[in-house]
Amino acid sequence: MTLLKMEEITKVFPGVRANDRVSFDLKEGEIHALVGENGAGKTTLMKILYGLQKPDSGSIYLKEQAATIRNPRDAINQGIGMVHQHFMLVPPFTVLENIVLGMETHTTGVLRMEGPAEAVQKIMDQNGLVVDLDAHVEDLPVGLQQRVEILKILYRGAEILVFDEPTAVLTPREVDELFKTFRMMTGQGRGIVFISHKLDEVLEIADRITVIRRGQVVRTLERSEATKPLIAELMVGKPVLLKVDKPEASPGEAILEVRDLRQTGERGHPTLDGVSLRVRAGEIYGIAGVEGNGQSELVQAITEPVKLDGGEILLGGDSILGWDVRTRRDAGIGHIPEDRQRYGLLLPFSLADNLVLGQHHRPPFVRGRQLIDSGRIRGYARETIESYDIRTPSEMTPANALSGGNQQKVIVAREMRFEPRLLVASQPTRGVDIGATEFIYSELIAARQGGKAVLLISADLDEVLSLSDRIGVMFKGRIIKEFAQSEATREQVGLYMTGEEQNG
Amino acid sequence: MAKLKLDKYRALEVLAPILGFLASLVVLLIIAAAVGETPGRTVSAIIRFTVGTGARLATVFSVAIPLFIAGLAVAVAFRAGVFNIGAEGQYFIGGLVGALAGIYLPLPRAIHLPVVVLAAMAGGALWAAIPAILKVTKGIHEVISTIMFNNIALALVNYLVNGPLSGRGEKSLEPQTYKILATALFGKLNAAFRFVGLNVPEHVYMDYSLIVAIIMGFLVWFLLFRMRFGFEIRAVGVSLDVSRYSGIRVKQVQIGVFLISGALAGLVGLQEIFAIRGHYTFEIASGLGFDGIAIALIGRNSPVGVIFSAILFAFLKQAGYGLQLYTSVPNAIIYLITGLMILFIVVINEIVTRYIRALRKKEAA
Repeated sequence: MTLLKMEEITKVFPGVRANDRVSFDLKEGEIHALVGENGAGKTTLMKILYGLQKPDSGSIYLKEQAATIRNPRDAINQGIGMVHQHFMLVPPFTVLENIVLGMETHTTGVLRMEGPAEAVQKIMDQNGLVVDLDAHVEDLPVGLQQRVEILKILYRGAEILVFDEPTAVLTPREVDELFKTFRMMTGQGRGIVFISHKLDEVLEIADRITVIRRGQVVRTLERSEATKPLIAELMVGKPVLLKVDKPEASPGEAILEVRDLRQTGERGHPTLDGVSLRVRAGEIYGIAGVEGNGQSELVQAITEPVKLDGGEILLGGDSILGWDVRTRRDAGIGHIPEDRQRYGLLLPFSLADNLVLGQHHRPPFVRGRQLIDSGRIRGYARETIESYDIRTPSEMTPANALSGGNQQKVIVAREMRFEPRLLVASQPTRGVDIGATEFIYSELIAARQGGKAVLLISADLDEVLSLSDRIGVMFKGRIIKEFAQSEATREQVGLYMTGEEQNG
Repeated sequence: MAKLKLDKYRALEVLAPILGFLASLVVLLIIAAAVGETPGRTVSAIIRFTVGTGARLATVFSVAIPLFIAGLAVAVAFRAGVFNIGAEGQYFIGGLVGALAGIYLPLPRAIHLPVVVLAAMAGGALWAAIPAILKVTKGIHEVISTIMFNNIALALVNYLVNGPLSGRGEKSLEPQTYKILATALFGKLNAAFRFVGLNVPEHVYMDYSLIVAIIMGFLVWFLLFRMRFGFEIRAVGVSLDVSRYSGIRVKQVQIGVFLISGALAGLVGLQEIFAIRGHYTFEIASGLGFDGIAIALIGRNSPVGVIFSAILFAFLKQAGYGLQLYTSVPNAIIYLITGLMILFIVVINEIVTRYIRALRKKEAA
């Protein structure tokens, strides 16, 4: 029987089609992997399934019956359970308390734990999931915490289990355990949606594999026909038609030099494992890689002071490791952040204020060190809005009134106008429309023509390939391969991204 | 065209507190009716004691002075997202330090007056400094530490006034310090008001603390909206992440704003200590620091807004006395009404803010 069928699901956010007529189904006893880059639309699809987002069109069938899922409660009641990447547990509560939370058994308000304890025990026995019910969740290792999450949704009677990158936080042994559990659960007729971008794991466990890219299903493969290079190619996709006209590069001296950067993450594994790279004046250095391989950590280390185990970062020959953000900015590091809503803009502030943010402490925007020259700031803002074609009623409009694409233009315009020596552009076109994307591309190229060093980090391989003069592939905290643009092909870079080719 | 629209938004923003005030007034009248007072009697009692005569009205403004300073102190910290709940303690300590400068420093009047003001500010800032440092170095939340410091301040002041700093030989029923030197006492501005045609009766305190309040109000406005440090205060209040990303030294801003807030809180007691009593005592009005929190909230943490909300609070305080005196409505009802009003205003503010955001989005699209 087909447990779940999602048909022609479309979801449009301002400026981006997150899901474009996506169809997906899950059979009884099946593990169906959903793979694709971050931002491809996997999460949106699952949020729709779980009632966290409303689709613009399309329909959902559960056990061949049309279903409406308005909120997570609906989803749970209809047998859908989700294990999120970030656990939804109350750390000081015991395992049992976490499992029953939200559906406690009680007699006129007094909690009854014996009944649920028995029921949970039974579920544990059936699925080979052993946890001490009286242990406090905060004392458990991550693998066991995940087990609690699984028990939680099984206790709620889930038949469709969605796992959002469940192995990202696990050790190899814990992954083996998890996969055993997967097998036991599907053996009882449950279905599992396994979201991942680790291809080895997908090939090991999945019965079918659906590849999703730019909001569309590229293809659904049977396990027997799936190979790693094939999935990689499907994920990376055919070239899109965003033409980038770029004159010859004439790189100068090295502006940014990263040497053997090492960092240990929260869970004790290396996030940066000896990254080295150089970005020269007048070139765009692109970092390709599946997200979560140290790109964000690398950007952080360049733009702000963070804890490192070793290595060196030089800007124009000076070590910047001890510098705070302001000193780095003053020294000429511009930064287009990955998450613009969270880091890039003071949303209730006017565009004018946002356009000088980061340089607001320096002449010409202040006089005599402290006095803000608001006339000059507004004039500068009007100029910037004009020359970067930012669509806004006025320079005094608050940033939160603008569309996503225009907000991103504000950030790009701001960082460009500060004339940095090094521009770090992190996912610069994520979630923006085609028009804004083209604008951002031309700005990055203009920066390069202006003799700036540009470090581009993007999950979109086409973007990296068409903009960059040199490309470094990042895998497990290291640059495992560098290409000149002329020698980089989509397929080859894709293979390095998935770790298939190592140090070749 | 754009100008006109901005004004429309501003009008909407001003509307919120007025609606909240009216709504809470309705609740008051219902409660009064429940204890057998007609709306007419209730309203007339309020009016007689607040705006009925020039003297009453002047009293409302006089009462509003320390409330304004308290609101200003809290508001400036709120602007940076720093929840200084400790204005109460900072005000007790600041007042004491100011009083000591007034008692023990023999100075000519022209110097003595600014010195006691600065001493009060220094005292308040000092009391704010410890929670500020605990916050940025140890991550101890300022709400917890400042509440604790309020209690410590009260105990400390109580001990000092009863013990080492008690003015032995002063004839009084309550423990107090020696009298403040005449050179440091705050005179009244009633004559100045008369000069511009406003008759403020002698028993109403329109004293130098009004000048201090006006200067401080202007300085805070100037800091927040004309100075780089104020820009950073507001940025930190909107988003720590964006502020860090843009290079703002967040910890410095937090410490700085905490000290400014404490310094302002140190001035809350000026009127009572230097104009009304002429000495320091543990018995100075308590609770003003907490009123400041509500005043800042209703005034939307803006210096101009705080002027109006301080006057509103003073009005309510006086209205409470009026109700107690002329009706059978208990004075405590005024606290209830104040609380309700804050609730109404906050809710209506939120609705209006969302409405304005939606309008703006439409306009930008």
